Amino acid sequence: MRRPEKVDVAIVGAGAAGSVFAAQLAEAGRSTVVIEAGRPWQLSDLVSSQIWARRLKWLAAVAEQAGSHRVSLAAGMGSGFGGAALHHYGTWPRFSVDTFALASLYGRGLDWPIGYDDLRPYYDRIQAELGICGDTEAETWRPPADPYPLPPMPQFAQARVLKRGFDALGMPTAQLPLIINSRPYRGRPACLYDGWCDAGCPTGALANPLVNYFERARTAGAELRSGCTATRILSDARGRASAVEYVCGGERLEQHADVIVVAASFVETPRLLLNSASGRYPQGLANGSGLVGAYFLTEASAFAYGLFDEPTEPHMGVNAGQLIYRGAIDAPKTDPQAFGGYQWQIAPAVKPNDIFGIAVARAELFGAPLHSFVAEAVGHYASLLSFGSGAPVRANRIELDGTKDAHGMPLARVVHEFPPEALGLWRHLLEEGRRIVQAAEAREVWTSQRPMTGHIVGGTVMGSDPAQSVTNSYGRCHEVPNLILAGAGLFPSSGGTSPTFTIHAVSVRAVEHLLDHWSDYAG
Amino acid sequence: MQTDTRRRSLLKAGGLGLLLINVDGAERWLSPRVARAETHPYRVLDATAVVALEAFGETLLAGAAEAGLAHYIDYHLSVPAPDSLLLLRYLDAPPPYAPFYQAGLAALDNHAQALDGMRFSELTAERRTEIVSAISAENPAGWQGPPAPLFYFAVRADAVDVVYGTVEGFEKLGVPYMPHILPPSKW
Repeated sequence: MRRPEKVDVAIVGAGAAGSVFAAQLAEAGRSTVVIEAGRPWQLSDLVSSQIWARRLKWLAAVAEQAGSHRVSLAAGMGSGFGGAALHHYGTWPRFSVDTFALASLYGRGLDWPIGYDDLRPYYDRIQAELGICGDTEAETWRPPADPYPLPPMPQFAQARVLKRGFDALGMPTAQLPLIINSRPYRGRPACLYDGWCDAGCPTGALANPLVNYFERARTAGAELRSGCTATRILSDARGRASAVEYVCGGERLEQHADVIVVAASFVETPRLLLNSASGRYPQGLANGSGLVGAYFLTEASAFAYGLFDEPTEPHMGVNAGQLIYRGAIDAPKTDPQAFGGYQWQIAPAVKPNDIFGIAVARAELFGAPLHSFVAEAVGHYASLLSFGSGAPVRANRIELDGTKDAHGMPLARVVHEFPPEALGLWRHLLEEGRRIVQAAEAREVWTSQRPMTGHIVGGTVMGSDPAQSVTNSYGRCHEVPNLILAGAGLFPSSGGTSPTFTIHAVSVRAVEHLLDHWSDYAG
Repeated sequence: MQTDTRRRSLLKAGGLGLLLINVDGAERWLSPRVARAETHPYRVLDATAVVALEAFGETLLAGAAEAGLAHYIDYHLSVPAPDSLLLLRYLDAPPPYAPFYQAGLAALDNHAQALDGMRFSELTAERRTEIVSAISAENPAGWQGPPAPLFYFAVRADAVDVVYGTVEGFEKLGVPYMPHILPPSKW
């Protein structure tokens, strides 16, 4: 077994969280290695095509899905440098205040060990550094925060059409806050609004790890290894994490490090920890609580669609949407049959094909009716999508399956069922979405048919009690003091919105704590 | 930034293709439409499967066969899963993907045989439409293959990709393509 030179920090996973850790650790002078299973994407790989974009996505290492509701994993996850953040849509609202205290406020799910006030300084610093465009005044639901550094993006026809519906129903909208430049900002150009975000933004107008944190990490000397699949985290006689075992080019290696960060996604992180069982950790590494893999949480998402007489130019804008309604996100959650806040993302730019494309919006059509629909819809279609926040269920989880991959590592098994209150919220969203599109004066209105997978969090949740969580608020494992977990897997609840801004905030807070307490972590 | 990301320079950078085909001893990127027109051999699918696939594709979306649906699917069944561009990878089907298509096409033919005593490709257009309508909703009795609605969804998405999801397809629909990095060969 070859053992490359020991480093200060080994990071597994090159997505949003891994990139933040790599940049800040390397800039602080810590020798840093990033081990990534996927490819070393460059900006020139980001071909403007929904078909080519599929290369950027994760290939599910899942053998089986159990439970009543399958989870759509691959389309929203990434593989290679940048991870999902390389092709994410850049929707960057902050989590609402009550997201952090669902158990205390409503007796549901789990509390976070931190609150919004703990994260606010990091949210503010990151938005100043990367630039978020939005409408500070119009977002009446936004928690206390610095104003957005960039003005709202322009509105196109699809947004103007759908806004009529919200206005008619008295539902205030604002420009969707986006990590996309509405004008040049800190060396990155302004967006061209041509709707290729899902294929990755090669101009860097939509900030992704290739144009921010990994650029910084490389400059500071971090080593990024691609095509290297971590198979186990090894531990030493003291119970500390000692090395990442990984396979690269058919060779099995061990990367020893003082501190190990696992930021490998809400599926791969628990899979790796569970596969790292040893005599000292028979249930898996950092799994004394038995909660590694548990509280895997997906939002139940709903779409509403309409065809309009007037032109809507649905190809214009960005994939995330142009407007947002978040008026109900932190309202008191008093309905036990439909628990959770939610947001509407309004008027996403869409292409004719692909999983969120126009043709899929009417999946029952084929033949001549399909062609007639697409030919009309490319000029007159409008859509909006919703994400319901929710409380996690312990029984929804990631496990190891008996089937193994090419490296001999067990595949994952996903167990998932939406709880009744999540389905209640989803049904409410379908009904509300239909009313909105009707109020916008569409001549044809329809909705999605099944609860669709929204954002995914959990699986290695943070908390104050070691018996009820895997890590503390810094992602530091309760049982293994030099092992840090990072990413949305830490989140004990979902925010009803993209978790990527919050992943950044939690990660910056964690890496700064690590640097400030280095000797305590590194032993 | 390390890379010049101005739009003009990125347009020049497009250099990829869809199908890497050996032509006269040299590999070159071809569009599925051209690969079909030049009758390049299939790598994974046999002749029976190709006939069924083209008939299924034409029923799902006219023009799919000529757009090279069978070459597109066949090629992307032949490459390693991380290189495959099929939408099936979004449906969390574990690779390899070839058995999914092979079993689905065989099930389609077998279903047509059971109902009408002939292969799917031999049915009238009207009868094909009836059968596709039925399998889009649920597994018909005796169906032996991947879930019929999933198979319908996946191949329909492939047909939509080759007909509408290309520069040429956008042009026919009147949708501006507006690329940052242009896919090659107008595939």
